[in-house]
Amino acid sequence: MSESISLKEAERRAFRSTFDDGLWDVFLGFFFLMFAFAPILSVYLGDFWSSAVFLPVWILVYLAILCIRKRIVKPRMGVAKYGRSRQVKMKRFTVIMLVINTILFLLGLYAAANFRAMPGWTVAVVLGLMLLMGFSLSAYFLDFNRLYLYGLLAGFAPLVGEWLFLNKGASHHGYPIVFGFMAVFMVVVGLVVFLRLLRENPLPEEEISQEEP
Amino acid sequence: MADPKHNPDLHPLADIDQVVHAPARLMVLTYLYVVESADYVFLMRLTGLTWGNLSTHLSRLEEAGYVEILKEFRGKKPHSTIRLTPQGREAFREYKKSMQQVLDDLPD
Repeated sequence: MSESISLKEAERRAFRSTFDDGLWDVFLGFFFLMFAFAPILSVYLGDFWSSAVFLPVWILVYLAILCIRKRIVKPRMGVAKYGRSRQVKMKRFTVIMLVINTILFLLGLYAAANFRAMPGWTVAVVLGLMLLMGFSLSAYFLDFNRLYLYGLLAGFAPLVGEWLFLNKGASHHGYPIVFGFMAVFMVVVGLVVFLRLLRENPLPEEEISQEEP
Repeated sequence: MADPKHNPDLHPLADIDQVVHAPARLMVLTYLYVVESADYVFLMRLTGLTWGNLSTHLSRLEEAGYVEILKEFRGKKPHSTIRLTPQGREAFREYKKSMQQVLDDLPD
């Protein structure tokens, strides 16, 4: 056996194998669609409704993901209940994400109230840092390395958007371009991962034709 | 093959649990050790074993009292969940300790 046996690695592999099905990438992609389209829609719908209109989209995508996982992914990938250390890690992750999201929400409220008074670069840097931090922590706690890449993209996206806005005349601080690119990139990556998963993990015949011993 | 009991350094090898030592069963036990429970498909996928092979090895582990297989129906389909028993967990720990003891002391 050329690889050394590492229980930690085995646990990580087991966890990632059920988590990394590409569907979360698709969900995150739809999340970033809001960042891309909300600034454009805000002209017609106002600040609140331009974001709120995406809520049913997220719910629909989320429900579709749950359904696909149950009907398509689980029969191919199997099911496992994770050990205590992973459960503790997931609890810590939940708490940290709750804190980050609360900070983001408060910053969002502050930004909404003072948006016109705040320099564009300040908004871009703060948003970029928060996105980078959120994605990096998620990547660490979930052992989901692709999120580091998304974190880097999301971290730089507002800065690139601001640059496009100031130098190339892009509208809405360049958000529709940079976050639109991110959204499409994530959805495409997610679909590729998902299709590869389907190709590499056909339904076990025994699942259908045989009763387990 | 020389009797390892003649060489005190290799004593732990003589006590190696043969139920755990088989590569396929060792793989199954490794994954069951790091999760609380798993189903057949999950174990098949991670170990690369076929359905039949996995069944055989799980039966052997079940006979030894190292795993328990909980059978249930999900809708009309049978579904089995496999988990290590405390005895199986202890056997795996003991195996790991014995192997480490011998292998760590071997010269490169």
